[in-house]
Amino acid sequence: MASFAGRERSALHGLGVPGHYGRAGTAGLVIEERTDLALASITAKRGKRFALVNAVNTAFGVALPDGPRRATRGSVTFAGTGPDRWIASAEGSEAAGFAAKVRARIGPFAAVSDQSDARLVLLLRGPRVRDVLAKGVPVDLHPKAFKAGDVATTLVAYIGLQIDMLDDAPTYQLSVPRSMAGSSWSWLNASAAEFGYDVITR
Amino acid sequence: MNAPHRLARGGLIDRALPLSFTFDGQAHSGFAGDTLASALMANGVKLIGRSFKYHRPRGILTAGSDEPNALVELRSGARREPNTRATTAELYDGFIAASQNRWPSLAFDIGAVNDRLSRFLVAGFYYKTFMWPAKFWELLYEPLIRRAAGLGRAALAEDPDHYEKAFAHCDVLVIGGGPAGLMAALAAGRAGARVILADEDFRLGGRLLAERYEIDGKPGTEWVAEVEAELASLPEVRIMRRTVVTGVFDHGQYGAVERVNDHLPVPPEHEPRQRSWKIVARRAVLAAGALERSIAFGNNDRPGVMLAGAARSYINRYAAPPGRRIAVFTNNDDGWRTAADAHAAGIEVAAVIDSRAEPPARFAALGIKVLTGAQVSHVHGKQSVQAIDVIDSAGRVARIACDALAVSGGWNPAVHLTCHLGGKPVWNEPLAAFTPGAVPPGMHVAGAANGALTLAECLHAGVAAGAMAAVECGFPIASIMMPSAQDEASGVTPLWHVKESRAKAFVDFQNDVTIKDIALANQEGFSSVEHLKRYTTLGMATDQGKVANVTGLAILAGVSGRAIAEVGTTTYRPPYVPVSFGAMAGHHRGKDFRPVRLPPSHQWATEQGAVFVESGAWLRAQYYPRAGEKDWLETVNREVATTRGSVGVCDVSTLGKIEIEGADAAVFLDRVYTNTFSTLPVGKSRYGLMLREDGFVMDDGTTSRLAPERYFMTTTTAQAGRVMQHLEFCHQVLWPELDVQMVSVSEQWAQFSIAGPRSRDVLRKLVDEKYDLADKAFPYLAAKEITVGGITGRLFRLSFSGEMAYELSVPARYGDAAIRAIMAAGEEFPITPYGTEALGVMRIEKGHVAGNEINGQLTARDLGLGRMMSKKKDYIGRVLAQRPALADPDRPTLAGFKPVDRKARLRAGAHFLSIGATASAGNDEGYMTSVAFSPMLGHWIGLGVLKRGPQRMGERVRAYDPVRNGDVEVEICNPVFFDAEGARLNG
Repeated sequence: MASFAGRERSALHGLGVPGHYGRAGTAGLVIEERTDLALASITAKRGKRFALVNAVNTAFGVALPDGPRRATRGSVTFAGTGPDRWIASAEGSEAAGFAAKVRARIGPFAAVSDQSDARLVLLLRGPRVRDVLAKGVPVDLHPKAFKAGDVATTLVAYIGLQIDMLDDAPTYQLSVPRSMAGSSWSWLNASAAEFGYDVITR
Repeated sequence: MNAPHRLARGGLIDRALPLSFTFDGQAHSGFAGDTLASALMANGVKLIGRSFKYHRPRGILTAGSDEPNALVELRSGARREPNTRATTAELYDGFIAASQNRWPSLAFDIGAVNDRLSRFLVAGFYYKTFMWPAKFWELLYEPLIRRAAGLGRAALAEDPDHYEKAFAHCDVLVIGGGPAGLMAALAAGRAGARVILADEDFRLGGRLLAERYEIDGKPGTEWVAEVEAELASLPEVRIMRRTVVTGVFDHGQYGAVERVNDHLPVPPEHEPRQRSWKIVARRAVLAAGALERSIAFGNNDRPGVMLAGAARSYINRYAAPPGRRIAVFTNNDDGWRTAADAHAAGIEVAAVIDSRAEPPARFAALGIKVLTGAQVSHVHGKQSVQAIDVIDSAGRVARIACDALAVSGGWNPAVHLTCHLGGKPVWNEPLAAFTPGAVPPGMHVAGAANGALTLAECLHAGVAAGAMAAVECGFPIASIMMPSAQDEASGVTPLWHVKESRAKAFVDFQNDVTIKDIALANQEGFSSVEHLKRYTTLGMATDQGKVANVTGLAILAGVSGRAIAEVGTTTYRPPYVPVSFGAMAGHHRGKDFRPVRLPPSHQWATEQGAVFVESGAWLRAQYYPRAGEKDWLETVNREVATTRGSVGVCDVSTLGKIEIEGADAAVFLDRVYTNTFSTLPVGKSRYGLMLREDGFVMDDGTTSRLAPERYFMTTTTAQAGRVMQHLEFCHQVLWPELDVQMVSVSEQWAQFSIAGPRSRDVLRKLVDEKYDLADKAFPYLAAKEITVGGITGRLFRLSFSGEMAYELSVPARYGDAAIRAIMAAGEEFPITPYGTEALGVMRIEKGHVAGNEINGQLTARDLGLGRMMSKKKDYIGRVLAQRPALADPDRPTLAGFKPVDRKARLRAGAHFLSIGATASAGNDEGYMTSVAFSPMLGHWIGLGVLKRGPQRMGERVRAYDPVRNGDVEVEICNPVFFDAEGARLNG
């Protein structure tokens, strides 16, 4: 029996080759693919929103954000992506079987679907990160307008995008549909080239 | 090295940085800071191009983006760029430019014969000359007009440069970096607002660069440098040079184009050529300045006749005077500045001709010859000005020798951007100009754009507008020391054209519209200003009448006996200046035109040498050719034969996949599908059909029940997005009371169809042994969570091919591993991968409908799926599907078709006609929707819809395809060509 273990393909397989690209010199942008995140979509059941908030608080110690924000406790994060909708993510030991765990804990109050393989997730940082993102993300990313912990669902280069600001470095997390990884990558490469960029892996 | 006409000193050019360039192959030199126009002027080149209609020699009229004449081709090869204004093209070393619209040469142009034929080329000549005979249109007139139309030549090769789009956000957008704009940016910037200052030029300062003004006792340019330095020091202020704001859109959105690297021969590696911006601003300050207008008189288009303000630009900014002996013709005080500045620069001033009786006293001391109450009636000289005729109030004509004539007809505030959301400018009688009317929400207008035509007024208005904009955004008022500057008003007495002129007097230089054309249009009934524009082309083309429009409508007012205010203006629309297609497309061209979706097996399929086909946004394997196969048909036949004879695998990850959960999920599905899903047992799949509200089929697919309150729906690849949208609409708008949640999981799962008599044997080698796959334990339409390769997946017993078949789902990251494992497991049987072609062949052999049949025009009944329309429940589309016309038994209905001559090829799209009927629309009985060569039957087969098709089995009709010369007799048959009893599904 063939085992699939160790034969995972990241969404950027064959594309995100570590190295320096674009203009030579100090990188204006550093790109890192996150392959360690487990994702689950959560939709509150009808009339169960408050019960869901309580259940998430009890099970994960997280106050479910009421709006496009992230809330994190330990290695689990809940990001608001729409009315009554969130994307939960987990890393490290929490990641294994994450969607099933979430379902087990909050299933009576929310629909839960595994989305761990549905997205290309990138971490972007570096001195020119906002200039790069301005070339496709229509959201105002000025620190006064979009702060650490903020989330937006929008479009980049005609591709559905969830963008989270993780910290004030600043670090942004971009999530796009897995099948469009190539087109997203093409846009990001073209947009970052003038500043020079590094592709790194953990 | 120094060009012959360059002044010995002065100008904002860097004489330490000489640049060489060519114009029409002739080598010249200029300096950094020059435009092509100023460099040509410094070299004494006056003839720049030929006019559009009459091929008249033309020179440089302006010093900015309002230029109608000096349009040139820049660069060469793939970077060749037509119709570029020499007046805004920044010079660089190695610059190559060429004139346009001339043959064989600029100086000797055959097309100039049009000037003599002008009697026949008057306004509206297209509509008159080319009316009849009608058959001449296609053969003669259109090719002739097409060849004559247009000026430059676009590059034929693909543009090698990269373009970008970008977004910017700010509190205050300041449009224009002249005195008003700089003060507005400073006032808002000091208050702490996020400011974007966008200026068209490569150097901030606006008119201050062209004038000898002083501010606070310093030269204007020095003051500009100080303000610029402060703006640059403010962290929230962004200065965007070479950036034209081209349009105003709803909700504070502004379009702009940044010419990032137009000033270099080739953009530096990794940098774009141009960038188009969408700027979202809470407030805007329009400080776009004013545009000078001309006066129409005989031969006023001769090279060497230029606007007076432009002449000052060339003298003061570029040290490149338009001539050695300049005359000035003005109807206002401002024109006198040109005489004064020329005089100060040591250029001989032949005369100032002021149409007014009382010229301004302050210039009297210059000692220049002045003719008051006089007008220039004629220009002598063909390719450059030699002399002018001046007619005085008594009608006496005097000739004055000069080599350049500066003309000022007054200034028009640049109101364009105030009008993009429908605002109409208002005629201001004292200024003799249109000033902004109702402006777009959030916009303030300051300075000359608002009709404030003195420097002091501009500076004050800029501060006020910038401060107000910042206050409106919640910032405090910053302290600003008001700079001191001259505040002398410029009187103007309108003069639009010189009545005594006999030669052509141009209003619109770019479109060769003369005062006679305007009079003729009015005489022929085109007296509305919008009609005038269409009839004469006044105000069209690249400059959009920036110089011409107001003069044109003032002349129309005169000939039609109306006030200018009554005539009004034409509609101002974006873009303010021409925008290249590259900038509009940005990154999105070629393979990046729109995002491409790749299924999880894509890389593996590429390794197999698959041929791909676009299927919506997806790129799918169409077929997998092997060495020795002579064409696609041979490959597809082999893929079908192997699948039906052994086993095949196809990536079906592209299907839409939706998880539907909730206490009311079953009710919800019963309402959106024609058939019932509430009765579906857990662990089972069912084929479902969805209608649109109007009763036509929208989509089909399978839905499986994973748990009592949890379903997994698949849609067709093409309709995935639409179905998701439809379901969301149904829930959010129609039935918000239902407890149902839906989410797309299309991206989460890699899904493979494994079909054929050996499919179970393949799966047996992959799926964990604890799962019983025997037909009894896992029959047709079973659905189950399983483990495969050590991970959790899902297995469905579904078939589109008619074979015993499964769909295996694994998380997408394992899609590549899965296809490789499936192929390895199947090798012994053997197994083939198959693409969309074989998929299509097999579904046609089985009579399954797909996108060709679900085309938005056919009902469930038409498709032979009437039995799926439940009579026990309501569902979307039920009522309207019962409309009498949709239930008409004569409606074309699904049937199968075989060529009577079994060697004949069928064509989808062919229409059915009764044998012997003439091929007319009235005899049309339906059409062929899908065809395939069936390797199982050894001939072509087709699906189609035919009037009463199912009742006519065995009859023959013609499949008539005049587009491809097809006319094949076909036999009507059961649409299920292969394994009609469905025995192969089981086993």
